[in-house]
Amino acid sequence: MDFAFTEEQEFFRQTVRDTIDRMIMPKVQELDESEEFSFELWHKFAQLGYLGIRHPEKYGGMDLEVISQMIFYEELFRGDVGFAMTVAMQILMGTYFVGRFGTEEIKQKVLVPAIKGEKIGTICFTEDQSGSDLAGTRTMAVLDGDEWVLNGTKMWITNAPTCNFCTVLATTDPSQGLKALNFFLVEEDMPGFSRGQRLKKVGSRSSTTGELIFDNVRVPKDYLLGEELGKGVRYAGEILNEVRVMTGLAGCAIAKMAMDDSKQYANRRIAFGNPISKYQLIRSKFANFWAWYEAARWYCYRCAWMIQEGLPCLNECMLAKMFATEMCMSAVDEATRIYGGNAFAMEYPPQRYFRDARFLLYGGGCHEVLQDYLGRIYLKED
Amino acid sequence: MNILVLVKQVPDTEAIIRAQSDTELDIENKYALNFFDEFAVEEALRIKEKQGGGIVTVVTLGSKKAADALRRGIAMGADEAFQIEDPALEEVDGYATAKALATFIEGRDCDIILCGKQAIDDDSGAVGPALAQFLGIPHVTSIVELEIFADQREARAAREIEGGREIVACPLPALFSAQKGLNEPRIPQVAGVMKAMKAQIQKIDLNALGLSPEDVKPKTKILKFYPPRKRPPVRIIGEEFPKNVETLVKVLREQEKVI
Repeated sequence: MDFAFTEEQEFFRQTVRDTIDRMIMPKVQELDESEEFSFELWHKFAQLGYLGIRHPEKYGGMDLEVISQMIFYEELFRGDVGFAMTVAMQILMGTYFVGRFGTEEIKQKVLVPAIKGEKIGTICFTEDQSGSDLAGTRTMAVLDGDEWVLNGTKMWITNAPTCNFCTVLATTDPSQGLKALNFFLVEEDMPGFSRGQRLKKVGSRSSTTGELIFDNVRVPKDYLLGEELGKGVRYAGEILNEVRVMTGLAGCAIAKMAMDDSKQYANRRIAFGNPISKYQLIRSKFANFWAWYEAARWYCYRCAWMIQEGLPCLNECMLAKMFATEMCMSAVDEATRIYGGNAFAMEYPPQRYFRDARFLLYGGGCHEVLQDYLGRIYLKED
Repeated sequence: MNILVLVKQVPDTEAIIRAQSDTELDIENKYALNFFDEFAVEEALRIKEKQGGGIVTVVTLGSKKAADALRRGIAMGADEAFQIEDPALEEVDGYATAKALATFIEGRDCDIILCGKQAIDDDSGAVGPALAQFLGIPHVTSIVELEIFADQREARAAREIEGGREIVACPLPALFSAQKGLNEPRIPQVAGVMKAMKAQIQKIDLNALGLSPEDVKPKTKILKFYPPRKRPPVRIIGEEFPKNVETLVKVLREQEKVI
């Protein structure tokens, strides 16, 4: 058993941290307040090559091992959460299906520029009436000659206003539920593709989110991303493990930032003649946070290790995502209490952590759905 | 063009440092490449790029943590890295460091040596000039601009001086120490970071340099570390105007001796 990061991984973390500190940290407040995606920052960041950490060298990637990828996400989410979401989307879900199932032509056309940051990708699961309930997907794909014809509307799509291509979940037969789901590649210049409303969000505001509309979009047959028809859910499950651990570590990062800021505040804020960090009720908040944070973080890295070793870990990754996110919810809440009334002012940071963290509850499966599933699994096991 | 950059891993500016005893420091485990050395590495890479070729070598003296300074250099784009490490070099001063480095550099084909103007931990700024002296080459310290004329084997550097700048010319090989403003150090690309993660750091001990521990015996000795005096609490002069002004002036003049 070995719980240590290697020297190389420590060096990698240090370098990523330094990059985020220099490039993103000074802009966090501005990015949040602007509620706009920064193309300038995106292109500058893309030049460093991090968008390729998950993909093969052949396409301009780095093929980094899973634990280092997770180290990257943990450091990335210390900075602006909206920007981090767009980056994570590009590396994971946004390019996963083209990277795994795309033809060589598709990879050259879409994946290579995506790794360079020249094209922005996204994934389209959610609809206005379905999200975690994938069986409720209404977007239809019908084979017509040599083309698939897509019809439907996707909602809550990260990067919807800015994406150049997207991977769309659609059903080939709504009566077949999960067994008829498949993923299709759609490019922005295809007739029938359009962008609907942009959503105003509570947090992670520098990543733009909205609606995508597919009105008789005709895609070539080989734009079906998957070797076998009807296996979409299984394919999604395989990448969702990584997404969930990434989300869990995002929670750890936000929680740590919130509590580190709170530490500074608690050491300076004077009440009844002492810094409030001298009072037991304030100290207990830090002790409790510390325990839950360590447990969540190391459980996430255990899951990352399981993914890296190719071990089955669907349930573990769900547990990690749920546990680390709930830990984060509690930490950002405690931060607002440590800051007292000042937490209610927009000029202090706790409100931003509090808002930004909320998206973790839904990304990678909402907790009520995960809890229901995991409870069922636990009760079945003897 | 062969460019050698001297680098040092130093405690991060945010690291907590306490004097454990008179001669021992307790340093929080947060280290980074010396602030001024980053300008030196960046300048070396720019010269190489501008000249359309050459080798940038980073070299450090020290144990364990020191290698991370080299890795940072490689991540930025340096071609090779050397770590001079020996138990006899655990306690060194500027003289001993320069002496060991000079022995390492002698016999190597080297056109330009760059370093930070000082390390932000001991702030002595001695190694660069001492090394140039040992090697018998010119040095220009605290430069904010550097231009290389490879054909003429000459360099022109700018330094900031009181009220202006001075331009200094010297033949190559020469040593230059970098001041803030020389350039904007690049953020390493992930490809460089991965190269650095895998890089083999070539280690050299005193024996390989042909030196004995006696040769690198420090010339100076640290007698005592002590922290700066704690700031006294704010004192309010609670008298009526204009009496309080009178007291204030008296305190500033006679007790604090600042006016």
